Order: sequence, then structure tokens, then C-alpha cells
Amino acid sequence: MDMKVKGSKELLTEVIDAGLCTLCGACAGGCPYLVSYKGRIVLLDSCTISQGQCYQYCPRTYTDMDAISQQVFGTPYSGDELGATKEVLMTRSTDARIKESAQYGGTVTSLLSLALEEGFIDGAILTKMSDDKTPSVFLAQSTEELLQCAGSNYMACPVLQALNQIPKDSEQRLAVVAMPCQILALSKMRQEPPQDRMNIGNVKLVVGLFCTWALSPDGFHQFLKENLNLPQVTKFDIPPPPANIFEAYTPSGKISFPLDEIRRFVMPACAYCLDMTSEFADISVGSVEGIEGWNTVIVRTDVGAQLIEMAKEKGKLEVDTLPPENLAHLKEASLLKKKRALQEIITRSGDRKNLLYVSLQQSIIDRLLA
Amino acid sequence: MSGVGIDAPGSTQLFIGNEAIARGALEAGIGVASAYPGTPSTEIMASLISVAKEKNFYAEWSVNEKVALEVAAGASFAGIRAITSMKQNGVNVASDFLANLVMSGIGAGLVLVSCDDPSTLSSSNEQDLRNIAKWLDIPLLEPATFQEAKDMTKWAFDLAEELNSICMIRSVTRIAHARGNVRLGELPKKEQKAHFDSICPVVPTLPKFISYPSAWLHSQLHAKLDKARELFESSPFNWYTGPEEAELLIITGGSCWLYSLEAVKALKLENKVGILKLGTIWPLPQKFIELHLSKSQKILMVEEIDPFLEGSIKELVADLPPDAPRPTFYGKHSGHINAYGELNPDLVIEVIASIMNLTYESRPAEYSKKAEEIPFTYMPPRIMTFCPGCPHRATFWAIKNALRLDGRDGFVTGDIGCYTLAIGPAGFFQMRTMYCMGAGAGVANGLGKLGQFGFTQPVLAVCGDSTFFHAAIPALINGIYNKSNFTLVILDNNATAMTGFQPHPGTGITGMGETTTAVDMEALCRSLGLQVDVCDPFDLENSTATLLKAIAQDGGPRVVIMRRECELVRGRRDKKPPYKVHVDCDKCLGEACGCDRLCTRVFGCPGLVWDSESGKATIDETICTGCGVCADICPQGAIIREAV
Amino acid sequence: MKTLTKDPLNLIIAGVGGQGNVMISLLIGKAFIKEGYFVTIGETYGASQRSGSVMSHLRISRENQYSPFIPNGRADIILGMEPVETLRILQQFGNSDVITIANSRLIHAAGMEYPSLDKIVEAIEGLSAKSWLINATDEAMKLGDPIFANMILIGALVGSGIFPIDKKSMELVLRESFPGEKFDTNMVAFNKGMELVAQ
Repeated sequence: MDMKVKGSKELLTEVIDAGLCTLCGACAGGCPYLVSYKGRIVLLDSCTISQGQCYQYCPRTYTDMDAISQQVFGTPYSGDELGATKEVLMTRSTDARIKESAQYGGTVTSLLSLALEEGFIDGAILTKMSDDKTPSVFLAQSTEELLQCAGSNYMACPVLQALNQIPKDSEQRLAVVAMPCQILALSKMRQEPPQDRMNIGNVKLVVGLFCTWALSPDGFHQFLKENLNLPQVTKFDIPPPPANIFEAYTPSGKISFPLDEIRRFVMPACAYCLDMTSEFADISVGSVEGIEGWNTVIVRTDVGAQLIEMAKEKGKLEVDTLPPENLAHLKEASLLKKKRALQEIITRSGDRKNLLYVSLQQSIIDRLLA
Repeated sequence: MSGVGIDAPGSTQLFIGNEAIARGALEAGIGVASAYPGTPSTEIMASLISVAKEKNFYAEWSVNEKVALEVAAGASFAGIRAITSMKQNGVNVASDFLANLVMSGIGAGLVLVSCDDPSTLSSSNEQDLRNIAKWLDIPLLEPATFQEAKDMTKWAFDLAEELNSICMIRSVTRIAHARGNVRLGELPKKEQKAHFDSICPVVPTLPKFISYPSAWLHSQLHAKLDKARELFESSPFNWYTGPEEAELLIITGGSCWLYSLEAVKALKLENKVGILKLGTIWPLPQKFIELHLSKSQKILMVEEIDPFLEGSIKELVADLPPDAPRPTFYGKHSGHINAYGELNPDLVIEVIASIMNLTYESRPAEYSKKAEEIPFTYMPPRIMTFCPGCPHRATFWAIKNALRLDGRDGFVTGDIGCYTLAIGPAGFFQMRTMYCMGAGAGVANGLGKLGQFGFTQPVLAVCGDSTFFHAAIPALINGIYNKSNFTLVILDNNATAMTGFQPHPGTGITGMGETTTAVDMEALCRSLGLQVDVCDPFDLENSTATLLKAIAQDGGPRVVIMRRECELVRGRRDKKPPYKVHVDCDKCLGEACGCDRLCTRVFGCPGLVWDSESGKATIDETICTGCGVCADICPQGAIIREAV
Repeated sequence: MKTLTKDPLNLIIAGVGGQGNVMISLLIGKAFIKEGYFVTIGETYGASQRSGSVMSHLRISRENQYSPFIPNGRADIILGMEPVETLRILQQFGNSDVITIANSRLIHAAGMEYPSLDKIVEAIEGLSAKSWLINATDEAMKLGDPIFANMILIGALVGSGIFPIDKKSMELVLRESFPGEKFDTNMVAFNKGMELVAQ
């Protein structure tokens, strides 16, 4: 089925007002009408264009998973738990400074730092937290700047808006660190390159993060402000089950909140997401449950493999095998997200044949619903 | 402005009705003139102001119409003839004082001119102020020509002194703003001396200028009206033209007299239709009217706006002896003429033709057909919009963005001024309530107290700088006192712009052009304990951010002043534009995704023109004033501004 | 002094707010007052400054003061400062005897689609017994300000031969209304207008 591209009006009714918007930012920043502000996508004026890039690249409008998989990997979408995989590893940075600022193993910072040093990229687009922990998008062009961006904030951040705002004639080669929904949108952009915007071919490296859900920036930030002295906080973390807590690290110790108290800030749109490990990235990075200070890394493309190889050679990363029980657990968690999401989609649509935005092979659907 | 002060008695000038009224006041020897600008009355005061110094009298723009009337009354009490002029809404504002003043009587001649605006060509509402004459017992005259506008005004001062009552002149847009022949009279040369003598002639211990004891004074007032009626019976302002016996008698007055004359002529009915013209509208010259009622069985009442004469004359007819003939009335009650909107010769032609069962063709049918076949697309309508370079366009752009970003369905309450156009595309449909002066701030007060009923929408009241002084200050103080949650945005363009850039208390210049203390709006608000931000609307980013912060707040009201001079004033003074603006066609995206003609389709400055052939935006140099704001709107940076 | 071939003579000046129709109507009106006519001029106000459609109705008569409204279909002469406004006025007030003199420079209504000038000119010519379309704005720009288009149009009106006011009478009014240098430039524009219709 071919996608029927519609306009901003339909984007609003079908996605944003329908509660499917993940704040990925793909629709924002590319025109004067759609902008993101405090955790919402806002339409500033009416746009009469019947077929717009906002609708075209949204990861919650019609998405043909096979077509995207063909685009990125040259193979159909398998529906496997972790998506297309060349290799699964366990890694951590060898650099003390990076390890100090890192959420887990500092792998993302190390890889980007290497890519910058080797001249493979000119900059990286990622999220950065201000002193009072408001997330925003940032273009880092040095290791120092990368270090400022290290650490998870758990809040949705419209990273792709920054991509849309890069000048048309820019020749900067870029890496993008993003969530699964953002990478889906990015893949759509690579499929049908945007008009009158930066050449999407300038995106040379896509680093995906593992994601179960994201928190609504406005509501959750308000909660943090009310309960913490934010400039004092150095790090946030959600330790693996059975801890069931959200932690804020301060110089005087960790402050924790029951995860159940945080769940009300989960973006409702996350319930409809099938991707936990950023399946269309070059490299996907996450934590290793039970093993502090290391990252799980899924290498998916040649670009990703080359970078890992270079990192090993140059001694930037310590690489090890991911323990089998961690791999099994990761697959289980990822599969569970797919199943839940598909259930939510079908419950909402009321029809097993109507998967709202996603197009999957029947065999995959059957397998996930079994 | 005009030659109202020309010392050339006997010469014929081409005056607008307002100038004629001003001339009439000059010929009557006024010493004081006061007004608040209001279309269609403004030129009365403006032309008086232009000759005040030369002719040795005092003229002022007052802060509002109530004070204007009080100023004129004060002068009258001290023996100085005074005139005050205003639009219909102004009389509403002055009405409380007026209702009291009629009780006491006056000193020297005092005349109130009300200029009504049928069809609200330039007003917030449509209202027929002749009714106030009946309501408050005020003698009222209505000119039908420009000559009469002068002659009636001049006479009104004598009439006022003879009756010891304020007298009213009622005019409408089509007399006030139309131009016609006025033969000038002599200008008086005598000096005026002011002295306040407060002894009541009847009861020496009571002051003269009080409205008490009202019931007794009310009966005295009725006696004055009876005297006026007597005088009006033989007034030269009432006359009849037409046959002794008419198939149709038109009773009319004011602007409608010329329409009726023209209509009868167009239908060639001069021998069949008579026209009774009334100039003394209240009290009605009863005997005079009754005399002419017998001229026809059919009477057509032609007047603007309400069936005022119609109803009043029917009252007369009801009191006629039982055997007197009862004519058939045609007019607003019968539905032959609309009781709303302004009239014109074509409408009167239509009514007469229908009553007389005639057909009327103004031009050959084939021509009409040809004319009607012109495609609608050949004549695109011109929607009213802000002038090129107007600060309001930028202000409402910032307001629109701030409210959308805020996301709580906030809205703007407003009132009447140039910025009223914000109810439409000119101001991006932002203004959602619009009534009289200061109403935006007042209504916002009510909305700002609804938190207990689950109300969370940010309320943004707007008012102009002149409006602020006229009416919004009490509403603002009410908000402070009663802790109402709203933001007042004062659009400070340093002028009473809509009516012609008159000065006001904030400008530091009087009507007569003298420097004076400028009332500092910002300091005034701060002294009330309010948070005040001042922004340049052309700095869109800062304005939007300031507004966002303001509407996010809670508690009582806060003020944001959007300050930038009216472009028309600036343009006339500094001939040079600040920027030269052009469009870089290579960068312009036009209709493509990423723009969709934001500048021409949404922002809508008249200086931005869409060239459908090239598919690009362009700047019309003959219209663009070089403000440069559009350069900040364009998403591609295709609009370039270069400092001149 | 000419007499009126039709009484009243109905002249409409059509344009866009800000073009100066009020000034033109006043100058023309003054010329007639000097010659002892009854003159009534009706204007649209309010919209004048704000880019709306505006028109001035001039009623000239030897006999009576007329109302400030020219009835539908009763215009004798239309002086158009802008083509679309000229057409708009013709549609409502034109008739088989109407004579039209118009400026051919369009002023775009904000945000609206426009047909080509040729089509509008064709329509104007089709609805007029006689018409002149002159490029007054371009000529005015040569003199340094688009506002001179007004004087050019007055010159065209006087030069057309259909108008009961001659150059001498108009010049007198202009001399009274414009001091020194301003009078000179305005006369240049006026003469240009006369020249343009003589062609």
C-alpha cells in the first residue's frame, strides 16, 4: 500500500490531537507553522498545503516497515525481537573523563568523539540538559561539548526539529543520537529526501538508544522542580527491576521515587511503539542489566560495524561478549514491548486489520499476537 | 485644516458638514469648545482647534466625552458660550451628566452635537441619538444640508439661552463628512468675560447649577419644551414642497431630505408626491405637522435610523379629534424601510416606487446585464487591514504566537480603535470580544474571576493608549482591587489614531499644540503596584516571550505596553523609510511546503504582493513603508531589509 | 464658463484608501464652487487610510444641492485611480453614456488573486461609452512620488474635453491650494495628464 501524504490539518487530527505524538520533532522546525514548545507540538497558523513533509515523515502516519527495512538493510522487516543485527556486544569507554560523565559505559560519547576526531563527522545532534535539567537539542562539535551532553534525562526531546532547522546549503556531516521513533522518522526522510531543507545525505551516522518509554517534558519537569533542588542533581537513573524506582543523584546521596509515581508522566503515545532497541540505527546502545558501567551495543549496519572496529583498534572502547542471560532478557523485554504495543494498537483501532499507522506482514502480526 | 475661520461673510465655501457646524459655532461667538475624537464628529473640534488661537477662544481634546460635556458646561455656567461635539457613543458616555444637566438649566448658550453613524461605517454599534432628546427632554435640531448645519448651529446658541436649556444638534455621517455649499455669515468681534454667578433666580439660597429638587425642576423642564414647541411652529427649518393634494406625503428630516428630493425627481413624481421637511426634530411642531398631515392619505416616513419621527407623529395622530382623517403610514413599522442601516436615494426610490406601483430603471437593461456578467474574480474585495508598517500587525502576531504556544486556549478581549481590525485576518482573528471604549479591560475582569468554576484560559485584554485614559483605568483598578487574573496589553502608538492622530493625555501635547505634562502611563501603572513590561512590537521575539511570561502568571492583573509610534504619523514626519525591503527570489519558497506563502497569505501586509506568475512574493514599493518586520517573518530569510 | 449638458453632473472618483481621492475631489469641487455651482461631495471615510475601496461622489448642479450619493447606474464620468476599483464602480454606477478616465496601475488587495490587467481594461472599455486608460503612476514616479498620479488624472479630466472646467479655472484652484514649488511640480503633472489624453 502506498502512503497517501496529507497535510498539517490531518497531522493534527490523526496524530497530535489523537494522542499518538511522541514529540520526535520530525514535523517541527521545517516551516513556520509547526514548532515544539514545552512538550507539545504547536501549530502557529493554518497551513493550506494538502501534502506536507510534516505528515510525510511523521513516524505515526502510515509506515511501511518492509520498505524501511529494505531502505536501511536491503532485507524485509523480520519482526525479530532485536531487529536486524550483525553483532551484539558489551562495551565501555576506556577514557576516564568519559566514564565519569557517563550514564552507563560512555559508549555513545566515545564513539562520537572518535568519529569527530577521525573527521568522519563534523558534528553530532543530541540532547543536552541545562542546569535545571530542561532537555534541549544541541549540536556538539567537540569532545568537550559531547561530555556536556552525556547522561539520560528520560524526557521526550524533539531532536529532529534541530535537523529540520539546519541551513539548506550546509555541508556539515552529522551524527544523530536518537530514540526509536525519531530514527523511524529519519528513515522515512532517507527514503524520500526532504525538499528545500538540508541534504539528508549529510547524516552519516545514526546512534539509537534503547527506550521503553519517554516522560512528558512539561509535566515531569514540573514534578522534578517541585521535589528536587535540580541544579544539585548530577544524574538520573532508572535501575533495572526489581528496584522499581526512579533515582536522582546528588552530592549528598541518591533520592529515589517509586516508579509508580513517575508512570503518570509517561507519554501516552509510547504505548503504541513497537521498537525498544532503535532497530533502524547504525548502532543501538543501552544499559547492561545488573552490570554497572557497561553498555549493550547492537551493531546493525556496515557503517556501525566500521565504527566499532575503529574504536577497538584505537583502544577507545573495551569490548566484551554480552552474557547470554542478558541477551535473553533483552530479547524478552523487547518482544514484550512489541506484543503490548500491537495489542494497544488493535484495542484502539478495534480491528485486527487496522494497525493505525504501521504496516506489517501478516505472519509477523500473527506471531506477535500468538 | 480648513478655512472655517475665513473672514469673508457672503462668500460661498465648500465645507463638510462638520466644518459648517464649526463655522456656525464661530459665528455664534463661542468661547470654549471641547470634544473627544469620534468618527464622524471629529472634524468639528479639529477645525475649531485650528482657528482657536487666531480667534481667541479655547478648544481642547478632553480625556473622554463625559468630561468634554462637563468642560463645556463649566464654561456655560460662567457666561461663556460653549460647544461640545461627539459621536453617538460619546453621548452615551456623557449621558449621566447630561441627564442631570437638563434639570438645572445653563448659563450662556450651550450646544451638544451628536454625530451618528448609521450602518456603523466607523463605529462599534449603530444607535440613533435623537431618542435621547425625547428621553431627557432636550430641544433637538437636525440639519438636512450643509448650509443648515451652519445656520442651525448658530441659532442653537440663541435658542439655548432663550430656553435656558442645553440644545442638541444631530448629524449623521452623510452630512458630517459630505461637502457642500455654505454661505458664510459675519464673525462676531466682541470680547468675552467669564464670571460664575451661582445664585438661583427663584430661590436665592439654592445654587443655580444643581439638579435638585428634581421633580420640580422636571416640571420646569417640560415647560421649557412647551416653549420650544411654540418657537418651532414657525421655524424656517421646517417647510413643505409639493402639491396641495398629494398622492403620497413624505415626512423626513436630516440627510433623508436630499435623498427624498432626489428620489421623487428620479421617478418624475414632483406633482404627485409632497415632501414635508422637518429641521426641528424635538419637540415636534405639532400644529405645523397636523396642518400638513391632511395633504395626503398616505404618509411615508423617511428617517435614519429608528422610527423616531414615525412613532412620535403617530402619537400626534392618536391625539387628533376622533373625526380627523387617519392616514396610512409607511415606514419602518410597516417594514417598507429598514429600521437599521443607512439610507440612500436608491432605497428611497425603491420604496416610493413600490408604494406608488411604479417600475424604475436607472439604466438600460442590456447594460445592467453586461455589468452583472463581469466575473467576480475581476474585482477582488479589499479586506480592511492594518496599514503597511502598523505596529498592531506585529503586536497581534506576537499575541497570536504567545497564545498558541501557551496552549490553554487563551484569547483577547478588546474594544474600538484601529486595533479592532484584529477581529479579522488583519490581526489573525485574535480579538474575540469587541464593544465600547474600555470594554476589553472590563470584560477581562469578569473572566479573570472564574477560576473557581474551572476556568483556565489566559485572558488578554487590549486597549489603545487613548482608550486607556478614556475608559480603561477604572477597569484596571477594579482588577487590582478585586484580584482578577488577566493581562492588559496597552497598544501605545502615541496617538488617537483611528480618528486622525489627535493627541491625548499621554502624548504631552494639547489639542491646541502646546506642550504639557505627559501622563506617564507606565509610571501610573507601576504606582498602582502593577507589574509592567514595555516592549517594542517590532521585536517579535521579545514581545512574544514577554507576553508568554505575562499570561503564564497568576493573581491580579499585569500590564504589557506595546509601544511604537503609529506608522502614518511617523511616515508624514520622517519622509525617509527606515529600511529598503526586497525579496530574494532565489530564496523565496512561495507556495512550497516550508512556507505556503506565509508573508502574503497570513501576515498580510499590503506591501507584500504575491506574484502568481513567478510563484514568488514581491514588495510593492509604492505601498511598503520600509518597517522591515516582514524580514523576521520569512522562514527562508528571503525578505531582505537594508538600513537606508 | 461652460454650462452643464446634464444637470446634475455626476462624477465618481474611485480608488484605494490612501491614494488621495479626497484631495482630488476637493480640488475639483472648489473649481466648481468658484463658478457658482452647487457642489455636493460624498466620501467614504474610515476605510480611507486603511487600504480599503474608496470612492468620492461629486454632484454638480446649477439648480440644487444634491445628496452625497449618486444613485446606482447614474454616473456621468468616472475618474479611476486604480483599475479594479474603476471596474467595481462601473458595475454599480455605470450606464451606456458613462465616460471613464482611469489609471492603469493595479494595487493588489492583500492576499487576493488577481486577473490580468488586460482583462480588466477590456471590461472597463466594454462598460464605457468612451474611455481613456493612462499610466499615471509610472509618469508620477518619474516626477518622484506616486501621489502625483492624482494631478495627472485631473489634467486628463480637464484635457478630455468632456469636462465643464477648463485649464485656467483649474490652475487658479491649484495656485490657491499649493504654495510655491509645490504648485510648479503639480502643474507639470497636470500638463502631463492633459498630454496623455490628447494622444
